[in-house]
Amino acid sequence: MEIINGFFEGVTGLLQSSGFVSISWQNYVMIGISFVLLYLAIGKEYEPLILLPLAFGMLLVNLCPGIMGAPTTEFVPEAEYLKTHDVTTQSVQYAVTVIDGQRFYSVPEYGGLLYYLYQGVKMGIYPPLIFLGIGAMTDFGPLIANPKSFILGAAAQIGIFITFIGAIFLGFKSKEAGAIGIIGGADGPTAIFVTTKLAPDLLGPIAVAAYSYMALVPIIQPPIMKLVTTKKERMIKMEQLRPVSKLEKIIFPIVVTVLVALLLPDAAPLVGMLMLGNLMKESGVVDRIAKTAQNELMNIVTIFLGTTVGATAKGAVFLQLGTIKIIVLGLIAFCFGTLFGVLFAKLMSVLDHGKTNPLIGSAGVSAVPMAARVSQKVGQLDNPTNYLLMHAMGPNVAGVIGSAVAAGVLISLLG
Amino acid sequence: MDIKSILAATLSFGDKVSISLTTLLTGFAVVFSVLILLIVIIIILGKVISTAQNKSKKNSSEVEKKPVTVKTQSPKPTTAKKITSDGIPEEIIAVIAAAVDSTYGTGKVRIAGIKKSRSYGGRSAWGQAGVMNNTRPF
Repeated sequence: MEIINGFFEGVTGLLQSSGFVSISWQNYVMIGISFVLLYLAIGKEYEPLILLPLAFGMLLVNLCPGIMGAPTTEFVPEAEYLKTHDVTTQSVQYAVTVIDGQRFYSVPEYGGLLYYLYQGVKMGIYPPLIFLGIGAMTDFGPLIANPKSFILGAAAQIGIFITFIGAIFLGFKSKEAGAIGIIGGADGPTAIFVTTKLAPDLLGPIAVAAYSYMALVPIIQPPIMKLVTTKKERMIKMEQLRPVSKLEKIIFPIVVTVLVALLLPDAAPLVGMLMLGNLMKESGVVDRIAKTAQNELMNIVTIFLGTTVGATAKGAVFLQLGTIKIIVLGLIAFCFGTLFGVLFAKLMSVLDHGKTNPLIGSAGVSAVPMAARVSQKVGQLDNPTNYLLMHAMGPNVAGVIGSAVAAGVLISLLG
Repeated sequence: MDIKSILAATLSFGDKVSISLTTLLTGFAVVFSVLILLIVIIIILGKVISTAQNKSKKNSSEVEKKPVTVKTQSPKPTTAKKITSDGIPEEIIAVIAAAVDSTYGTGKVRIAGIKKSRSYGGRSAWGQAGVMNNTRPF
């Protein structure tokens, strides 16, 4: 009989601690959303490198919230503790706390796996490391060959500040509005970096919105690009870019780092690491380190970043009206960024008597290299012999620097 | 009210307008200023470097006047214009020609022939290059 009772107690205990009983309806909704994101990552291949771990992190945390649980300390009465533990042979000795004359052992309960991995996000370590890898993979040649592209990289950041205003008037606090606005920079690591500094509580929705919109660049941007350009403008063929010497490519990251770090110290972690990665690549003297930054380090950090950011999207936190507002505002930021990029490129085209194809302006919203590919693709719809890719890469990489500078401004102003 | 006080307080409509315009103007001005400054620096840098490189090119112009002929391991190039392909597909020849052109400069070299390299020590040339790359000390 005892055996049967023990068996039933065991099964009941297991059932009570299982997800079927402990998780709420919000968790089930989030599990559904994670399945949709997994489908987009695997079935549609939308930014799969980040979307897949992100969706899986979301799935894990909603199935088992404890996986993101913070460490705690349990005060166990000394007498009770000694009943089950032999402290003389125990390798770990816990501190004893005296409360009202009674002695308690401070027994630590360790946090969940993703909680520890998440510290790299919380402390702002992963985003600059991702930037190191991006820098090691980026060729700034098109930007150096056509420095005017910087203007387009700056113009596309206007969406950030316009969305900031929208968020303020929708009732968000200033810091939260700054973090929401940065979605318009279309740069995942930058959005995460700014959000951890300004509004860490909003990290889940903002990161999901930022990466989702980056994945949806080929769907969001073309209608805006076509809306504000004429067919004649879209057919403009741009002159071939001048060759850029190795020396210029080596000096570029040093100059950018010195200038940006002096002017905007808050942007230094992002821009500094981006340029360090690029210098490693362009100098050609540390090939092995550059390759590690491009591949192994980048991949490891992407896994940690994606999974843990996804794990911040717990049902109870994520399924709120505020999240819907953030998602809508993020889309507005993204659309305004694209719009202003194209409009500035149009202006540039007028000023240089039709030498600039306005389609390259939309690439100013970071999202490297997807946004540049969209410029190329939309350009080829009207003129199949037009190759805008390298021209669009200039504003595209300028957008990365631009969004990092905008991030520095927001942190410095609101942080 | 300065911006830090506004941040700390609950925002009234006036505060919202104030902080919105302040952030918009500051952000716009700073982002554009920094990037325009970079444009100016890069243009100047590009000109200085190209001037310096042109000078050094002029100094070594006599050497450059004579086009360098790179002869690969081709046994017998049949004609000056036709590349000995050794059964290598045209696409590969185009890639090799582009690489040579990119390294030595347009029109400065002539590819006399292309020949498949033999593998040494059981490894292909690519394999050997990979091994060398991975075992090169810091």
